[in-house]
Amino acid sequence: MVTGNTEPRLPAVVRHLFPAFAGLPLGPLLTLSLRSLAGRQPRLFDRLGEHRTACYFIDPIDLAFAFTVVPDAERSIVRVVRKSEAATSSVQIRGPILTLLSLLDGTLDGDALFFSRIISISGRTEAVLALRNTIEDAELRPADLLGLRGALARLVDTGILGALGVVRQMADRNSRDKAPEA
Amino acid sequence: MSAIALTLGPVFFHWSPDRLSDFYRRIADEAPIDRVHVGEVVCGKRMPFSDPAWPEIIERLERAGKEVVLSTLAAPATVRERRSIEDLCTDERLVEINDVTALPSRSGKPFVTGPFLNVYNEASARFLIQRGATTICPPVELSLAAVGAMAGACPETEFEIFAFGRLPLALSGRCYHARIHGLHKDSCQFTCERDPDGLAVDTLDDQQFLAINGVQTLSNQVQAFCPAPADLTSRGVRRIRLSPHTCDMVEVAKTYRALADGREDPKAARFILSCLDLPSTLVDGYAHGKPGWQAATSI
Amino acid sequence: MTSGRMELVCPAGTPATLRAAVQAGADAVYCGFRDETNARNFPGLNFSAEELAEGVRFAHDHGSKVLVAINTFARVNDVGLWKKAADTAAECGANAIIAADIAVLDHVAKNHKQVRLHLSVQAAAATPEAIGFYATSFGIRRVVLPRVLSVQEIAALNRAIEVETEAFVFGGLCVMIEGRCYLSSYATGKSPNLNGVCSPPEMVSYDDEPNSTAARLSGFTIDRYEPGEPVGYPTLCKGKFKAGGKTSYLFEDPVSLNAGGMIAGLKAAGVTALKIEGRQRGKGYVTEVVRAFRKAVDAVEQGGDAIEIDRILAGQSEGSRQTAGAYSKKWR
Repeated sequence: MVTGNTEPRLPAVVRHLFPAFAGLPLGPLLTLSLRSLAGRQPRLFDRLGEHRTACYFIDPIDLAFAFTVVPDAERSIVRVVRKSEAATSSVQIRGPILTLLSLLDGTLDGDALFFSRIISISGRTEAVLALRNTIEDAELRPADLLGLRGALARLVDTGILGALGVVRQMADRNSRDKAPEA
Repeated sequence: MSAIALTLGPVFFHWSPDRLSDFYRRIADEAPIDRVHVGEVVCGKRMPFSDPAWPEIIERLERAGKEVVLSTLAAPATVRERRSIEDLCTDERLVEINDVTALPSRSGKPFVTGPFLNVYNEASARFLIQRGATTICPPVELSLAAVGAMAGACPETEFEIFAFGRLPLALSGRCYHARIHGLHKDSCQFTCERDPDGLAVDTLDDQQFLAINGVQTLSNQVQAFCPAPADLTSRGVRRIRLSPHTCDMVEVAKTYRALADGREDPKAARFILSCLDLPSTLVDGYAHGKPGWQAATSI
Repeated sequence: MTSGRMELVCPAGTPATLRAAVQAGADAVYCGFRDETNARNFPGLNFSAEELAEGVRFAHDHGSKVLVAINTFARVNDVGLWKKAADTAAECGANAIIAADIAVLDHVAKNHKQVRLHLSVQAAAATPEAIGFYATSFGIRRVVLPRVLSVQEIAALNRAIEVETEAFVFGGLCVMIEGRCYLSSYATGKSPNLNGVCSPPEMVSYDDEPNSTAARLSGFTIDRYEPGEPVGYPTLCKGKFKAGGKTSYLFEDPVSLNAGGMIAGLKAAGVTALKIEGRQRGKGYVTEVVRAFRKAVDAVEQGGDAIEIDRILAGQSEGSRQTAGAYSKKWR
């Protein structure tokens, strides 16, 4: 695990949005977000069933570090880890960070991304499926995950979702180019 | 009468009338089998070939003291196929129903439900028993425990377990023999006749997996469930079904008779079966509640 | 039964997808409980009783119906679980229950006369006699047609039966007669009839090899892909196999059903409802497909021609290969 001073922190502009937690390293900050989400939407985590205690290794290929996530509602844990720590997890999900984020809002089809190999998945397929279906139903927006409200939430959503729109177009083009049509 | 009876199921494959006649002549004369199913169940297009052979086969079997059951099509579609079912259902002999299509014309008269009919629980079994089911051979994917649980709940009816032969796993509207030969079902040229035990289907890594027989998909492996007789009788299962193959079915029948009578132990019976000229290796996973391809019992 | 407007029946794997389908123009949505009583029993999918009740309220407020699939076969000594599912669906105000098992049909017919019964495709009733049996015994009002019939056969069938028919028009395609296929339990121990799953995800592995990726189910190799080639889910009947000296997609190519071009034909054949497959699909997908089919069905109802329908549905290929399946006779 990456610890102490080596743990990446949020960029200054994002830190500015969370004055209360700006000092926290990224892992605890995301842990806090996930746990507070569990407080607001407890039913969301029921959908994961037995896979709540699975360890998801999430590897944004364009970042220098990866995450492990145990999405166990108010006992959730997010850690920032080295890329080499995949082996200890039950599921590994790899892809560009914007694409991974775009799965959260559910308008980008996880199946399509996986089958066109924009994201790659290994490990317990059923845990991935449970996570995908849970996220799909959650109708999360980026601000929900960060626990934001009001104008600030709209600002963050507009920014991130705008970026995701671009990714979506790229993914669309990619999957149509690759698959033969009959 | 012995506690456990033996049934010879219908032939799934497209055998010529001569092969059918020879086969059933030997069964009539030599096989220690109580009940024999006759008739085409897989593909209605084959019926014009085999139909003329049945009267003599039935006569022969009955003369030898066998109880003959008329099996009906599992996936009837055409008017002719539906009519054949209706005709067979008027017969005084026992009829095997393999599709709900046969129920209206057979309700109220005794029938067998074959493994193609979805009887998964005691409530649907009871519903069918009220309409005339006297023997129920449930789908092959059910375990002995599940079949036994149904039998326990419906003691008035005989339950039969599919014990020997390639397992009937699926039916389709599409003919795979035709497809593999670049033909369509409607002009299939009866290429399924070339594979009297089905055509083996292997994976890309040469694992034995399935077998095709026209519109039917079977297991590649051969089911050879050899329970100790008490395993069946204690659960109220009173019949064993053997499914015909080109191997020595008289020997198969003798082996199961000896097993059911307690003259041969399960391990020895399994060994004898493994020495026959079978199209693949032996499995019995389904009976034990495991994936069908597994051999839960070693030879 | 040919006179009314055709009903568009759409999938809902989650409450969010239900709302998406309703808003995209579904006349009815179908869904199931989060257990083995329905044939899409996948991790993270389906409804709790509370979610179903909310879903029904939402759908009814927007003029859509909710059909609840309780369409697996009840496990011996556990029929109570399936009966309870039917009771819950009725309490939640479902417009219809879609069932295949005689035990479930019998229970609904006897205890919930106000709820319509639809015969699931899992019952594989394809003849007037079979459908007649279910109509007489349980009062079914509609049969979901097995995907083995051609349009001509559906027309003939509709002339011979008293109940409505529902036909699949889009999405995944079973090659085998549904409800009578045990390929999945043969390989994995779990099957649609027993557990509501086919080729279950926990038995799937994608194994990277030196110059390819193998998709395996329970250790059986179902397909193999070149680096960078789009991979598929290893559904048994869509795999590549060796038989008779040939390597091929023996049962079916990796295609999905698109009978969009046959909507007018199906209407003429007397079909009451058109069904879109895909309770496992996301709301983005469902929204897009339902919207397009809503337009296409409306266009057909207003006498639109084939070219117009093709244009409306042109974007619905998803990049994957498609077939009209058994509706066209040469598929067999």
